[in-house]
Amino acid sequence: MTETPKLTLDFKGLLCPMPVVKIAQAIKQVQVGELIEAIATDPGVMADIPAWARSTGHELVTLEKQDKIFKFVVKRLK
Amino acid sequence: MTETIELALKTLEAQLNQPLETALEACARCGICAEACHYYRAEPKVEHIPAYRAEQLRNVYRYEHDFISRLFPVWTRAKKLDETTLANLTEIAFSQCTLCRRCTVNCPLGVDTPLMMRAIRAMATAAGTAPEILIMLADAAIEKGKDPSFYKEMFLEQIADMEKQLRDITGDENATIPVEKQGAKILYVPLAGAHTILPPAVVFNAAQEDWTLSIFEASNYGVFLADVNRAKQVAKRIVDEANRLGVEEIVISECGHAYACYRWDVPNWFAGQFDFKVRSLIEVLAGYISDGKIKVDPTAIPGSVTYHDSCNLARNGGLLEEPRYVLKSIVRDFREMTPNKAEALCCGGGGGIVALAEYAERRIAAGKPKADQIKSTGARTVVAACENCRLQIGDLNEHYNLNIHVTALTDLVVQAMRLPKPLPGMEAEHLFEGEQVEVPR
Ligand code: SF4
Ligand code: SF4
Repeated sequence: MTETPKLTLDFKGLLCPMPVVKIAQAIKQVQVGELIEAIATDPGVMADIPAWARSTGHELVTLEKQDKIFKFVVKRLK
Repeated sequence: MTETIELALKTLEAQLNQPLETALEACARCGICAEACHYYRAEPKVEHIPAYRAEQLRNVYRYEHDFISRLFPVWTRAKKLDETTLANLTEIAFSQCTLCRRCTVNCPLGVDTPLMMRAIRAMATAAGTAPEILIMLADAAIEKGKDPSFYKEMFLEQIADMEKQLRDITGDENATIPVEKQGAKILYVPLAGAHTILPPAVVFNAAQEDWTLSIFEASNYGVFLADVNRAKQVAKRIVDEANRLGVEEIVISECGHAYACYRWDVPNWFAGQFDFKVRSLIEVLAGYISDGKIKVDPTAIPGSVTYHDSCNLARNGGLLEEPRYVLKSIVRDFREMTPNKAEALCCGGGGGIVALAEYAERRIAAGKPKADQIKSTGARTVVAACENCRLQIGDLNEHYNLNIHVTALTDLVVQAMRLPKPLPGMEAEHLFEGEQVEVPR
């Protein structure tokens, strides 16, 4: 069964570093083990979100490009 | 003494050198710096006087370094550092000073207030009281440098997409965005995001430059933390890349703090491993126009345009005439803000403050003098050659209803190159919307 994200966020139009700033704020609003999904339009997220997840110890569950939108799901791990 | 306080004081001691000591010892309390600071101009209260801010650190320094102060602190207003004082200092340094150095250049004694604010930022970072967002952004950048393979494939996919766009805009089927090209002359370091890659790529291709794109971004959040250790790790990614590729020079995207960092600090940090010329993209644009390497239409921008001098580029970087030369080559109605150049007012978005959502209200309030300045030019397009400034002026635009269009310098140059297609968001009807001008073509 696929887990349902606890939060769905829209970062369309936000430029670096704002998507990272926003996801870092949002991660505190969910419990450990819960998911957040977000969409962004800035291609910078393709490198920044994985780097953020690695350096903060959260899990990047998926990150994909759909047409001009970047969609990603992160899981709070701590 | 708690561990936090111990770490903060240790960091202060470690930073003490002659310039910092001088700044801590010298102040005539004349108050001239007050009007220099955009915080004070926006809201004239004692907390917004640069000398008052510096005094908060001086009180702590006095307690640690002055025998009389330690015995009779009340006489000299010396203060033993405790958690509350550290929290207060941290807040001052991260939310009430953009490190713009306008106070320093206006102080009759040249007191370097931002140097003291940087000392506090370093103390706060070491003690764990600095804003965690800045730490996180710096750490994420360091992580990228350790092992770029985890995102490189996706990055290259993005570049391939951008290359298609580039060919579409220029009409040149051979236009490319080279990545990690061995032996290229220029290593161009963008910011994360297509908006700092595509327009320069258009220019480099038109100038037939021998260039390559960096896989890293120029911004360095370690600088905002005044954490030399982190800042060096972030910068090292690019120093290593430049050495690996054997380039001749590093060109930094339109970014104030990154330019200042690579221009002034990195050559010292990496002495012996850093044999590169560093230029801002602005200097490159000016050079291409004056050498005729790119052709621009002097009548291409018929609307009213003003230029915001980013503190790090102008006052701290010395780039005063280059952006004006570029603008005067393409703009029919160029209007200066007053004051400008080395005396320019900070927009309120420097020092990493745009990334700190908790201080957004203060940031917008402190940007009021810049908003007024923009308004009084009557210009409809504001060019800012720094990402932080663009973000801030964009927010000022919304908050103070300025009805302006905020753009980067390179974007306007590309517009003036009169290519088959405009850059996304730079369509003439959008750029000159509501202006009574004759749009070329
Ligand atoms: S202008 Fe200089 S000397 Fe005068 S109060 Fe400000 S910092 Fe002190
Ligand atoms: S550096 Fe700029 S913001 Fe900071 S105190 Fe001086 S004038 Fe004000």
